[in-house]
Amino acid sequence: MNNPFRKDLVSRSQPEACTVVIFGATGDLTHRKLIPALYNLQVEGALPAGVKIVGFARREKTDEEFRSGLEEINRKVSRSGHDDEIWTAFAQNIHYHQSEFQDGDGYKKLAERLDEIDQDRGGKGHRLFYIASAPSFFDDVLEQLKNAGLNECKEGCWSRVIVEKPFGTDLPSAQHLNEVVNRTFQEKDTYRIDHYLGKETAQNIMVLRFANAIFEPLWNNNYIDHIQITCAENLGMEGGRGGYYDKAGALRDMVQNHLLQLLSLVAMEPPTDLSADGVRDEKVKVLRSLRQWDTPELVAENVVRAQYTEGHVDGEKRVGYREEDRVDPESTTEAYVALRVMIDTWRWSGVPFFVRMGKQLPKKATEISVHFKEPPTVLFNALSGGVPGGNVLVIRIQPDEGISLRMVSKIPGARLRLEPVKMDFHYSTSFGKGSPEAYERLLLDSMAGDATLFARRDEVEEAWKFIDHIEHAWHESDTPPPVAEYVAGTWGPKEADDLLAEDGRKWRRL
Amino acid sequence: MLALGKEVAIGSVDKELRLLWEQDKASTNASLINLAVYSEEDGAILKNSELVQEITREHACRAILIGIDRDDPEASIRAWITAHCHLSHGRKSVCCEQIAFQLTGRATGRLRNTVFAHLNSDLPLVFWWQGELSSIFSERLYSLIDRFVFDSSQWSEPAESFKCIEKALQDAGELMPMDMEWTRSYPVRLAVAGLYDDPLAKKALEHTSSIRITVHPGHRMAGLQLLAWVIQRTGWKPSMDLGLNTANNDQYYFETHEGSDVMAVVETDPSAAPVAGLEILSPHCKVSVTHEADSPYLHQLLEVGCHRIERSTPAASDDSAELFMDHLSRGGKNSLYRMMMPTFLGFLGVNEEEI
Repeated sequence: MNNPFRKDLVSRSQPEACTVVIFGATGDLTHRKLIPALYNLQVEGALPAGVKIVGFARREKTDEEFRSGLEEINRKVSRSGHDDEIWTAFAQNIHYHQSEFQDGDGYKKLAERLDEIDQDRGGKGHRLFYIASAPSFFDDVLEQLKNAGLNECKEGCWSRVIVEKPFGTDLPSAQHLNEVVNRTFQEKDTYRIDHYLGKETAQNIMVLRFANAIFEPLWNNNYIDHIQITCAENLGMEGGRGGYYDKAGALRDMVQNHLLQLLSLVAMEPPTDLSADGVRDEKVKVLRSLRQWDTPELVAENVVRAQYTEGHVDGEKRVGYREEDRVDPESTTEAYVALRVMIDTWRWSGVPFFVRMGKQLPKKATEISVHFKEPPTVLFNALSGGVPGGNVLVIRIQPDEGISLRMVSKIPGARLRLEPVKMDFHYSTSFGKGSPEAYERLLLDSMAGDATLFARRDEVEEAWKFIDHIEHAWHESDTPPPVAEYVAGTWGPKEADDLLAEDGRKWRRL
Repeated sequence: MLALGKEVAIGSVDKELRLLWEQDKASTNASLINLAVYSEEDGAILKNSELVQEITREHACRAILIGIDRDDPEASIRAWITAHCHLSHGRKSVCCEQIAFQLTGRATGRLRNTVFAHLNSDLPLVFWWQGELSSIFSERLYSLIDRFVFDSSQWSEPAESFKCIEKALQDAGELMPMDMEWTRSYPVRLAVAGLYDDPLAKKALEHTSSIRITVHPGHRMAGLQLLAWVIQRTGWKPSMDLGLNTANNDQYYFETHEGSDVMAVVETDPSAAPVAGLEILSPHCKVSVTHEADSPYLHQLLEVGCHRIERSTPAASDDSAELFMDHLSRGGKNSLYRMMMPTFLGFLGVNEEEI
């Protein structure tokens, strides 16, 4: 029986009360993102009554110690502030379970504890396992969950798992991880989280395309010249991040997941409906249609990798990549990558997608820009200066989320002079209220069984297939393409500019 | 009237607004809706300017304040313009235009032509009517409105006023009504929905024996709407045609699908918060949501078998601007309100054929 009071009250799938078990509960993600997200859902009244949280980690802690550590961080980072009374009631539902990730007994005790919670709650209970531990423990956690029978749900209940990125480090490891996950949980109960998809602007891509009649007729190779997807970061390897990053690199860390997910939202065909599989079926078709850069020569032609050298960002001196803490001084790992991506479909034939991601760039910004073809120049080409560029539609993902459209306009005056002007929509200006954090939306969706904003197995594997060819050319071929350099605080290497300049294009200035 | 900004001639409103923006190049002019705030109360226009100042923090709009004094023997129209500015995320100054009109005497008949000539084109019109409905609320007015906001707690004859609203909805199919009383009960409805997510509570619902709703005497409409919502959502049938209406409470009887008799009471308490509580009892289950007067929290309690859940969530503020913003933030077509209305009108004794 459905809850009759939920229906029509809010326009979204109905989240169900469950026990959320977080593996890696003493880590940063739990403290800075997951618990504040659950707390904010409680503040908004969106968290179903009876949700319990069990933190699972290796360190010895009491429930009280665990709660007080979470409270301390929540005070600093919670989007809606911190209210002592609400926190006190919320924290009563948080518990700590100490165990090694490989210790079977720890999971048996966890199962007993979850049964006790279910009994307190009146018998049955749904369970949501959130694997936020280091990737090296994913296999152990999943296997042990299975051994303890925690992957199986009781009648009328569900048992789901959320897996944090990275989903593997290449195609074989992703396939292995997916097999382990699917041996333990059914695919329909597996939620591979990509927090970019929880961001308002990412969700707005489909709305922009399919709820506005004016864009979709132009959204093809007849009218679009090329598309750029940029993720710029103005930080380097602060906080000991170099150790992880030097093994991963920009391509694996950002492109394989976040940026290819954005690319599929921009390039996909209209789904038949908004169901999870309806949307993901269309996204995976895009990934399947990516032209593979499967020789070192093709990689050299279409992909640029680079590392930053010493420079200045935001007026501060920054060391070069190889001088960063925990980075191998001989490292060839890319801190910057730029790619030309071709999608071999009817719609996108001949339209390049340029994707770039880099560290120590001048500012932090993620955006998608759609560059339309220039109009026939018969009318205005004779003017001094000609027509100043085509239309550009920009979808800003972060910060300052919004959408802008560049158009050409006549400058007032007796002379006919054309200049670009910008129509700009800023979320923050138009909607004073802040957007919810991506994790709030995604946690609620997983409690409601809505996997639309989560990556499916085939999406992950298709993305790795594309990435692996490039990684292989870089690290295993006899003729690896070179690693370019750029000064920290600049917009990347000259080679990345050349990638576009070959066809008379250039990177959008952010 | 200084707080309303610069007084301008009626024919120069648009020109003066343009000048206003030309003087301040550092600000961004933002607008997502036309917001008209209408009142026939003396001095309300100044108070409403302060409300709009609050509202524009979250909802960029072109605000049009309308003050009406029909009893004034002199027919006049005066207009003022100003802008409400806020720092957006500590960076950019975002401003919203406000035009205030004061219409007196026979000039009130020129409301539609004068005021609505200044709407921002293509943006929806949200019309906030304050106080009792009057003869100005006519087809000529509501045919222009997209969302009509009112507060039924301010009405002395709610049954008659709701008939007017229903007629407007029949005439203007696209009009979306929004009653502040309904918004006041939203946090309680959300809390009840949350508590009934519990499978045992859900199971116990059909065995409900009583419902008790407590409201402040000024908010009887909110209480009746809350009850109408419960009844419409559950689909329970009335077991007696009429409710009993005593000095301090309305009493109704229903029958669940499984045949349990449910007694429902909407009681008033002068010391209570506007929507002070809802309690749903069955033999093995108690669901209760309470809001103590002056407390910022809503206390939720579920007792079912030996299982007990207690939690606090923020309660709704009864501040008009907050309620209004809350409603605008949720948007939507207010379909739940429309679904609840026939049951609610039945509680008020309004027969649909009378409309």
